[in-house]
Amino acid sequence: MHNQVKKLRLLYKSIIFLFLLLLLSKGKCIANDFLSDLSSTKREALEFLDKIDQTKESSLWPNIKPKLFYDNLKLNLEKPMSFYPGRSTNFCAYGALSYLIMEKDPLGYVKFMNELYDKGEATFNKNNFKPSKAVMKAAGTLKFKGVLDIRHAEQMWFLVLADKFKGYLNFLHKRFHEGDENTFWAATNLAKFDRMVSKMLGTHVKAVGSDLIKPWVKDVYSYLEKRIDSTIVSLYINNRIIHKKTHDKIKFSIPTHFIILRQISKVNNMITLRYWDYGGETQMQISPGTLKKIIFGIITIDK
Amino acid sequence: MIRNLFIFLIIYLLLTASCSTKIISNNYYQEQKENLDNIESRYEKLNPINPFSLSFTDKDFTIISLEMISDTLTRIYEFNVYEQRLADTLLKYNYDTAGVYYLIRKMQETKVTWINNFDYYVNDQPQQLIILSIKPKTIRYIFSPPKYIALAYFRAPQFFDEKGKLLDSRRTKQFRKIKGQVFYKITDRICYTITEKYR
Repeated sequence: MHNQVKKLRLLYKSIIFLFLLLLLSKGKCIANDFLSDLSSTKREALEFLDKIDQTKESSLWPNIKPKLFYDNLKLNLEKPMSFYPGRSTNFCAYGALSYLIMEKDPLGYVKFMNELYDKGEATFNKNNFKPSKAVMKAAGTLKFKGVLDIRHAEQMWFLVLADKFKGYLNFLHKRFHEGDENTFWAATNLAKFDRMVSKMLGTHVKAVGSDLIKPWVKDVYSYLEKRIDSTIVSLYINNRIIHKKTHDKIKFSIPTHFIILRQISKVNNMITLRYWDYGGETQMQISPGTLKKIIFGIITIDK
Repeated sequence: MIRNLFIFLIIYLLLTASCSTKIISNNYYQEQKENLDNIESRYEKLNPINPFSLSFTDKDFTIISLEMISDTLTRIYEFNVYEQRLADTLLKYNYDTAGVYYLIRKMQETKVTWINNFDYYVNDQPQQLIILSIKPKTIRYIFSPPKYIALAYFRAPQFFDEKGKLLDSRRTKQFRKIKGQVFYKITDRICYTITEKYR
């Protein structure tokens, strides 16, 4: 009898372990290889934009100002690194995705945005977007988010992406309500990010790591250094270690932020990271220990 | 014995969970007005020349995180304030070294843990404000979150409701929330809030 109970307990624990492993670990994933008929140039996109009537209003997007919308699209093309997900929002993952899309298909982006503005519905790489009325009303009204306040195309883009793609973090907040750009409605977990990139870009995405457990990579620096030239590397990090918000020493360590790694180098056991987030590049120096501590997911995307 | 210990633990947990952190001084701004205004005005002069933000990341106010902001790149470095590397870095990137050191000293004295410039927009026109976070003396219970005082220095007079809450504009009852927080009037240009995060 005692042995049977013991066996049952073991079985129970194994099932829980396997369930958690499936839920959390994303050893490698998503090879949705359309390999890409998507690709265009900035010049093609600017030519397309020049032919559009940029003064037209859209009753579908009551708070979008045409001038701010089209100026923003032009800025996105001329300075693709200027995409700004806004202060205090949960849009960082969509920001990282924007960076990737502008690298691959700027013409696709402006065509999609223009169609969405005109018709309230559009398709990007076989993904149909039909945003909710609440989202359409909110675009153009986000305030106190820094320069995102006057970037009406980016407001629309981020809101629409958050409205379309859902992961388990959005389970309780599926419908948009005012202020939800700062809540779990807009949050992105690692699997959702991978899925989003794969679907929107139609390219091969590989990820190591998870939402709670750090990647099983022995030497993170070497892992990143090996891949940075041949692929685009995005990192899922605990930003609270870089940008401390309280003086408490005991903190629950979870990833909070997506960035695009641009450069990495090591001198005297000090690592210099250069990455893109929030409309520009950031450079910082950290120890190999801190690098390992902050990274929860490493996502490599075919160029 | 174990049962008593268990009950004691539960009562203790209930008590502590229900007690939030208390800031000892009710009037921190008035007590430190001169120093705080001085920090803000010094930062206001230095920042437009070569933008930066400063935050103390430790409780002893010795480790500083310096963000040097340019149009194309933000550099984040962490220093002990007594390290020579700090002065070397400021010099290398053409910052007013004496001015920044003065600011750091004043921030240490006044327990200002973060200073930063914020941009925001009114009628699509850019505006600026400066945020200072202060780490006040508190009575803090186990499991209760920390508390900081955040001061917002606007350049122009603002609008408030009858309870002193910061409004978005003269014609609206909508609150102007900064980082998701409602702010309260100190003067027509300065307001405050109590927050669990200093940045």
